[in-house]
Amino acid sequence: MNSLPGTATSDTPPRAPGQAATSGAPDRTRRGDRRRDPTVPPWIFVVPALVVYAVVVLYPSLAGVGYAFTDWSGVGDFGFVGLDNFRTLLGDDRALRSVGNTLLLTLAVVVVQNTVGLLLALGVNTGIRSRALLRVIFFAPAVVSPVMVAFLWKYVYNPDDGAGLNGILGALGLGGLRQDWLGDPSLALWSVAAMVVWQYAGYSMVIFLAGLQGVPADLHEAATLDGAGTWQRFRYVTWPLLAPALTINLMLSTIGGLKLFDQVYAATNGGPGTASETLSTVLYKEAFVYGKFGYSTAVALVLALFVAAVSLVQLRFLRAREVTA
Amino acid sequence: MTTGPHRPTAPAGPPVSRRGLLRAGGAAALALPPLLGACSGSGRSGTVRVVGVADQQKPLGTLIERYRADHPDARFSTSFAPTDQVQTVVRTQLAGGNAPDAHVLFPGSGSAMSMVELARSGLLTDLSDQEWTRNIPKNFDAAYRHDGKTYLYSAGSSVIGAVYNKKAFARAGVEPPRTWSELLDVCAELKAEGIVPIALGAQTPWVTQLISYALVPNAVYAENPGFDADMAAGRATFAASGWADALGRYQELQRRGFFNANPNGTTFEQQTALVAGGRAAMAVQVSAVLATFREAAAHPADLGMFPFPGGDDPADQWIPAGIVVGLGVAAHAENPARAKEFIAFLGRQENINRWATDVSAIPFTRDATTRIDPVLTDFLPLVDARRAVPFMDQSWPNAEVQPAHFAAVQDLLAGETDVKGALRQMDTAYRKQP
Repeated sequence: MNSLPGTATSDTPPRAPGQAATSGAPDRTRRGDRRRDPTVPPWIFVVPALVVYAVVVLYPSLAGVGYAFTDWSGVGDFGFVGLDNFRTLLGDDRALRSVGNTLLLTLAVVVVQNTVGLLLALGVNTGIRSRALLRVIFFAPAVVSPVMVAFLWKYVYNPDDGAGLNGILGALGLGGLRQDWLGDPSLALWSVAAMVVWQYAGYSMVIFLAGLQGVPADLHEAATLDGAGTWQRFRYVTWPLLAPALTINLMLSTIGGLKLFDQVYAATNGGPGTASETLSTVLYKEAFVYGKFGYSTAVALVLALFVAAVSLVQLRFLRAREVTA
Repeated sequence: MTTGPHRPTAPAGPPVSRRGLLRAGGAAALALPPLLGACSGSGRSGTVRVVGVADQQKPLGTLIERYRADHPDARFSTSFAPTDQVQTVVRTQLAGGNAPDAHVLFPGSGSAMSMVELARSGLLTDLSDQEWTRNIPKNFDAAYRHDGKTYLYSAGSSVIGAVYNKKAFARAGVEPPRTWSELLDVCAELKAEGIVPIALGAQTPWVTQLISYALVPNAVYAENPGFDADMAAGRATFAASGWADALGRYQELQRRGFFNANPNGTTFEQQTALVAGGRAAMAVQVSAVLATFREAAAHPADLGMFPFPGGDDPADQWIPAGIVVGLGVAAHAENPARAKEFIAFLGRQENINRWATDVSAIPFTRDATTRIDPVLTDFLPLVDARRAVPFMDQSWPNAEVQPAHFAAVQDLLAGETDVKGALRQMDTAYRKQP
């Protein structure tokens, strides 16, 4: 009888590759051979993880998409309202202002965090004696809870002349630079950005450091022999080969910036007024403060699609400029 | 035989086959849910689950202990968190059908966790058959009742007034003012003495509303006690009411330099420290946080409280007095009988008194055993004379007006808007559907 691969019958006992067919052998597979049984498709091992992923991530996400078309208050019954939530969003001044704030915050975080991260990586990638300790110190804030960081920085940003950052400025004779860091509507957003950069610059540093350590030393030697200076070696050797690390850093910081919530909520609660409101704080408040889960889910859906679109465009652009050594 | 690097040897025992391992795992998985159920304090185990706000921890801790002294078989599982976090948690549990037996409940309407909002959704148990509900004064109906049924247990009302540092007042040689004009004079003298007259921690959103609330009873309700009904019927607006005068006076205090520098960057904790330490003379606050001020002060007796004057006739002083955050019993509680019995226990006069004492509140019903915090003495005659107005948000129709008020005041303090603009924001929020 002909049998398809993997559907062997007792006439043709399944054999692992390399196993010799032994005449008169019992019609049973030994335990060790069954482990490599080609009749078991490899994807079967992924099924448990897929089931968990579907139950914990996919189902809630898809169910959430459904709520975006309802007037659910978060408790009790709800009715379907079609695209009303999305129409409301288009006319919601607070939400639209928060889009502007989110983009500004993301831009500031992406640019400054990665610049600082790169400079730190270049610094600790040298022969400096304390480099191991410095790496730990620079990375340490990244492992602290963002809410804790926000609470700590509220002390740093104490508006009192003699406290925190203002106190330091005063002690340095720079009293004229004292500010109401979180209470001034024109400064609050940037103060939050500085806090985020402080926390995650070390994280970017680690990724750049991994990239730097993958740059072959012989390329630098060759460039040096060709008469290249420090800047030229960085510009024409290191920088192009850092492209994969840059891609990862830009992607992570962009996504992180667009959905930034913890630090903003804990430091300013979106204020003063609505000066530092981001899309994430708006969707949180709509759901849990105003009790408008349906509308909040619509905002979340738009945010998710926006983050996905930006990330895809960014990925295509950055991948195109990557080179390998 | 294993080759390669030496490794620590496991204790000798029979080798575990893959099938054996799977069997053991399966058995553990089957055993886990009942085990977790037993540990989780769920209804099946008879444990009453209570979720409250941080302010309720002290009175509830004491009263649960007292209840358990009479009912040794009763078991409780409690958790407490700040208002915004507990709101998030309890709403999520209510939505998921996993409500605690008794949970925090805000009086009246105007918040996503308010009595009216949850009662409308059928998520609360009617407590009307309990003895204590008969003693709720009629003028507090809107806070405790919806559609004629009582859903909220709360020990009484807290008042908003000025918490002041007696030593700072003495240093400037001033006494608590009784009229708005006297207030301005007192503030000027305090300022001349180098003392911040009024500490304002407007970075903490809920603090922003307190000065408005202190001024609005005289500016609005003394003239028109039916203002809430007029608003609900669309016959009045914030912008065209005494609210404009109240916010105007709020602004005047700032314009005259009577607040600490940068109030929008100052938190409630910093405000508390300023008054407790004597660098500032007073803060407009709710009596429920008196304990926090006392903890921060070197000598708690240095702190007092007086009605913040909103008008110019001491005989016509009105104050805000709101029912304090309380408890409700979930409609789908796992242990409804035990939870209701506990609420009935809380409704006994001696327990109402205990709870009210712990949060510096005035019990909604009093008898000879009631002892009220001495610093509230000046407020009692006003409450008894019905010149006390519930906190305004407790009658607002949706949860958006209060945050709009917070944002409007912060914008006002930052010079980003004027009184008209601020009240327009509030009117827009008021007209939104709940």
